[in-house]
Amino acid sequence: MAVILQMKGMTKEYKGVPVLKNVDFDLEENEIHALVGENGAGKSTLTKILAGAITPTKGEIILDGKPIKINQPTDGVAHGIAMVFQETSLVPSLTVAQNLFLGKEKFFNRLRTIYIAAQQFLQSLNFSVNPSVTVARLGAAQKQMVEIARAVYYNARIIIFDEPTATLTPEEKHHFFALLNRLRKAGVTTIFITHVLEEALQSADRITVLRDGEIIVTDAASNFTRERIVQAMVGRFLEVELFNGPSKKRKRRKAGRMVLSVQNLSMQNIVRNNSFSIFAGQITGIFGLVGSGRTETAKIIAGVVKRDLVHGGEVKFEGRSVRFRVPNPAVENGIVYVTEDRKIEGFFETKSIAKNIYIGAITAGTTKRFFVNMSEMRKLGEYWTKTLDIKATDSNARVIELSGGNQQKLVIAKALAQRPKLIIFDEPTRGVDVGAIAEIHQIINRLADDGLPVVVISSYLPEIMHLSDRILVSRQGRIVEEFKADEATETMIMYAAVH
Amino acid sequence: MLKMINKYLGRGEFSITVPPMDGALMPNELLEQTEELLIVDAPDCLAVMNDVPVVSSRSRVLEVDKGGKEVARFDAEISCIAGLPNGGLAVGLIDGRIALVNGPGNGKIIKPIKGATCPTAMYADSDDTLFVAHGSSTNNYIGWKKDLMEKNSSGSLWRVEIATGNQTKICGGLAFSYGIYYNGKTFIVAESWRSRLLRISLDGGKPPEEVLGHLPGYVSRMAPAQEDGIWLTAFAPRSQLVEFVLREKRYRKLMMKNIDSDFWLAPTLRCNKSHYESLQAGGVKQLGILKPWAPARSYGLIIRLDSDFRPVASLHSRADGSRHGITSCLEHHGRLLIAVKGDGMVASYPIDRIGKR
Repeated sequence: MAVILQMKGMTKEYKGVPVLKNVDFDLEENEIHALVGENGAGKSTLTKILAGAITPTKGEIILDGKPIKINQPTDGVAHGIAMVFQETSLVPSLTVAQNLFLGKEKFFNRLRTIYIAAQQFLQSLNFSVNPSVTVARLGAAQKQMVEIARAVYYNARIIIFDEPTATLTPEEKHHFFALLNRLRKAGVTTIFITHVLEEALQSADRITVLRDGEIIVTDAASNFTRERIVQAMVGRFLEVELFNGPSKKRKRRKAGRMVLSVQNLSMQNIVRNNSFSIFAGQITGIFGLVGSGRTETAKIIAGVVKRDLVHGGEVKFEGRSVRFRVPNPAVENGIVYVTEDRKIEGFFETKSIAKNIYIGAITAGTTKRFFVNMSEMRKLGEYWTKTLDIKATDSNARVIELSGGNQQKLVIAKALAQRPKLIIFDEPTRGVDVGAIAEIHQIINRLADDGLPVVVISSYLPEIMHLSDRILVSRQGRIVEEFKADEATETMIMYAAVH
Repeated sequence: MLKMINKYLGRGEFSITVPPMDGALMPNELLEQTEELLIVDAPDCLAVMNDVPVVSSRSRVLEVDKGGKEVARFDAEISCIAGLPNGGLAVGLIDGRIALVNGPGNGKIIKPIKGATCPTAMYADSDDTLFVAHGSSTNNYIGWKKDLMEKNSSGSLWRVEIATGNQTKICGGLAFSYGIYYNGKTFIVAESWRSRLLRISLDGGKPPEEVLGHLPGYVSRMAPAQEDGIWLTAFAPRSQLVEFVLREKRYRKLMMKNIDSDFWLAPTLRCNKSHYESLQAGGVKQLGILKPWAPARSYGLIIRLDSDFRPVASLHSRADGSRHGITSCLEHHGRLLIAVKGDGMVASYPIDRIGKR
C-alpha cells in the first residue's frame, strides 16, 4: 500500500526533557494502525502533533509526498486529519446535534433540521444517542460516540482515536471496530491508541510500539504476539500474564474489624436495597458490569451523590450512622473515593502536582487552613512524587503534561495525602499501561497490608481476581454474590454478574 | 425537630435497615449437615454437668448422649441451666426461682426477688457464685416476643451468692440480656433486642461498652470455644419488615391486643408452621419449595468469634432449612452441640470441619 503520511525526525521537548526523540513514523493508505506503549511512551504526543494540538520542537510532516505545516487543530482538519481525544472536547451545554455541526453552522439554523440530520447520521453509524439531549447529560461512552461521529462528519481522510474503547461497553466496542472497517472501505485511514493489546492484535493492520519517546518496532499485526508487544513496550520480560503471575499463589489477607456497613441503600432505580460490609486489612473487590450500580454506591458512601431522601437506607462507618451530602465531610471523616473519571473529577489539570496534592490535604483538614503554606505544599508534592514514583520533571510540573498512568498515581497520591480510614478505588487502572498497572497494584496491596480497608471497583475480571481478598458481585443496583478470592473463577463471577 | 424530620423520612435512627450477612457471616448450609443427636420437645439451654452434656427441655433436664435420659424434672418450665464446678447444675425456672441439682447443694432453691424474675442465662464463677442474666423485669422467658414488641429494655445482670441466696444487681437497662460469657478477665453479655454484645464491668466502675454490634440476628447464648474465642447463637434473624413493625407503635399495640402471639409480625423460632401466619411476598413457595433466600421470620445461626470478638466463621440454616431457632450451643470433646429449639432437636457437628475466614 502507498504511504500517504510520513513524520520525520519528530522531536518534542518540555523544559528540555524530551518526550519524543527523533521519531520517524509512516502511515499507509486505508490502513488501521494501532499505537501501543506504556503511559508516557509518547503516543498521545505523536498523534497530537499530527492533529495540530501540540507544536513539535523539531521534525517534518509529509502528506501525499508534500511537506505540510500543522500549527493548530484547524490546520489538521484542513488537511483532512481529525482527532478524537481521550478527554472529551464537546460543549456540555449544547445538544448532541449542535455539537456535531459545531463550526459548520449556516447563517440561519433550524433546530428541527439539525436534529433530523444528526439522527440520520448517528443511526448510519449505529450509535444510539439522542441528538436532542445536551451533552452534559450523556455518559462517558455516549460522549465518546458523539466525538467519533463528529470526526467522521468532518470527512477526515485520517482519523486518530486516542483510547477510543476505554469507556465503551463490549457491545459498543463491537460497533466501534465495525465502524473502523466501514471507514477503511470508504478510504479513511485510522490510527488508534490503545492499552488493550487484544484490540490491536485483532483489529489493526499494523502496530507501532513506542517506548520512552522512541519507536521500538512497527510491523504487521499478524507478525505480533501479545508477548512480543509487551516485551517491546516495557523493554523487559515483565510478567507477561500480569494478572496470572505469582499473586495466584499469594496468601489472601484475613478480614479485620468491620469498618463500613452499608444497609439497604437505595437511590432511584440505580442502587436498590444494597447491603454489604467492608473489613479492615483486606481488599474487597467489587465486580459488576456497566450500570450495575457499583460506582453510584461508592459515590453515595463518599458523599458525591445523595441516596433517596425517603427510606434511602443507612451507611454505618466505624459503628456510626453517617450521611454525607457533599464529599468534604466524608473526606474529613476518612472516607476517600478515587474516581473512575480522573480527568473530570480527579484533579485540576492546569495546576501542578504539588498544588493538586495540597488541595487534597486541605480538604481533609490535614493542613493549616486559611493560610497556604508553600513549603508544606512543596514538601507534600516532593514526598508523594517520590513515594509513588510519579514520573515528572518535578512536583511543579502541570498535571496536563503527565501521562495517564502518572496522572492516576497523582490521583492516588492526593487521596493518600488525605490520610484515609477507608479508600475506594473506582477503576484504578483504566487507561493505564501494563507497567503502571503493576505499580498501582503494588500501592493498593501496600495499603491493605498496612491494615487499611480497601475497596477496588473494576469491570476487568482479571484485575479483580488478582487484587481481591474477597469479591463482591454487583448486579442491577445491589450486591448479589460474595466469593472468597481463592474459590472464585471468572465463570462464577461473570455468571453472578449477568444472571 | 431533626428527630421528627428523620422519623418522617426514615433515616438516621429511624432507618429501617438490617445489617448484611456477609464476610464471615456469609450464608452457608453447614447447620443442615449437622447430625441429629436427640429429638426432643423445645430443647433450650445446654450445659455440662460432671463432663456430661445436658439440655433443658420444657420442665426437664436431659442427658444429650444417652437417648435423652432424664436428669431432673421441675414443676415449672426451665429457662436456663449452668454447670457448677463441683459437678452440680444450677437451673433457672420461668418464675424466677433458681434450683440446684446433683451436687452439694442438691435441692436448694433460691427465691426470686423483685426485678429478677426472668433468668435467661447463667454462669457459675465458682461453687458459691452465680452470674445470672434476666431478660426482662415485666415479662417472663416465654413472653420474650411480647417483650420485644413492647420494646422493653428492663433486663439486668445479677450476682447470686449460692450459700446465702443473696442477689446483687450488677447492671440494668439491658434490652433482653440473653447470654453470658466470662473468661476470668472480660465479662460479656448478649443484648438481644439491640443485637449486640456488651462488655460489663463487674465492679460497676465503667458503663457497659459495646464490643460487637450491628448483628443481623437476635443474639442468644454464648459458649467458650476451645481455641480461644466464643460461640454465639442467634435465635432469629432481623428483617426489614420486623424493623418496620418495631417503629409502628399503634400497629404493634393493636396487633398484640387482637392477634395470637404465634401469628404476630415478629421474629419466631420456627415460621411456616401454620397457614395463618403472615407471609412476605418473597417467601411464597413455588411447587412446594421455599427459596433459601426468602425473607423468613426464623433462621438458624451460630457465629464463631475470635478473642477480639470479631466474627471469623458461621453456621447457617437458611429460610428453607431445618435447623431454625438455635438458642444455645456448646463445645464438647471436639464437637459442637446445638440446641435447635425451633425444630426440636439437639444436633452435633465436628469442630474441625468448620473453616474460619
